[in-house]
Amino acid sequence: MLDEALGHLVRGIVDNPDDVSVTTRSGRRGTTIEVAVNPADMGRVIGRSGRTATALRTVMTAVNGGRGVRVDFLDVAER
Amino acid sequence: MNETTNPAEDAAAEPVTEEATETADEKADEKAGPTLEEEGDVAADYLEALLDIIDADGDIDIDVEGERALVSVIEVNPGELSHLVGDDGQVLSALQELTRLAVARETGERSRLMVDIAGFRAEQRTKLQEAAQQAIAEAQRTAAPVSMRPMNPFERKVVHDVVAEAGLVSESEGEEPERRVVIRIS
Repeated sequence: MLDEALGHLVRGIVDNPDDVSVTTRSGRRGTTIEVAVNPADMGRVIGRSGRTATALRTVMTAVNGGRGVRVDFLDVAER
Repeated sequence: MNETTNPAEDAAAEPVTEEATETADEKADEKAGPTLEEEGDVAADYLEALLDIIDADGDIDIDVEGERALVSVIEVNPGELSHLVGDDGQVLSALQELTRLAVARETGERSRLMVDIAGFRAEQRTKLQEAAQQAIAEAQRTAAPVSMRPMNPFERKVVHDVVAEAGLVSESEGEEPERRVVIRIS
């Protein structure tokens, strides 16, 4: 559900929604969600001074019932 | 006179002022921009899909308030959406930011749309209006300027409106984030 929510939030704000892919990893340190986007959209998901990335993390933590979620952004080429 | 602005400028100061400085002629030359209703529709779709995914109930209302679209998510089950508001509306602000980006992606223009969830902004506004009324009463009683707490541009606009309606004078003074409204009897 977390990855689906994040995928939706990100697809809505990028120019290449079809290139967005989301994977969740559960490790000892809790949940990490990796979002891969088209390199051209990297600026979009990070935002000015990281504003958009912060907003995405804030919403994801709320959706996760206040438990912190690690959200990593990478471009599709890195995957 | 850099330190003070009139209420009208204050209101426009929020996210972007580009639009406000455009002349009517320039506007007429361009193709018509997105309407506030269109902005509201895009925002409503974005938020509604999120609610579906997280399996939360909410009724969505689209309104136009002043020059902005307002999309309100109304709680069906009391308290169910409080985590989407967050402490001091922090999560709500994040969601509004993302929603504005989603609208801008669709329309190609920056959006000043407001999002409300579970009546949070409406309640904040009522509290602000009450605080403004108290400050007005104090200004009238003491005939001295009354300075409000520091506020963001949107909050200051709410106060300016109440003061204007009461026939008093208000100005914003100081620099963000310490900028505050000062109320005078004339």
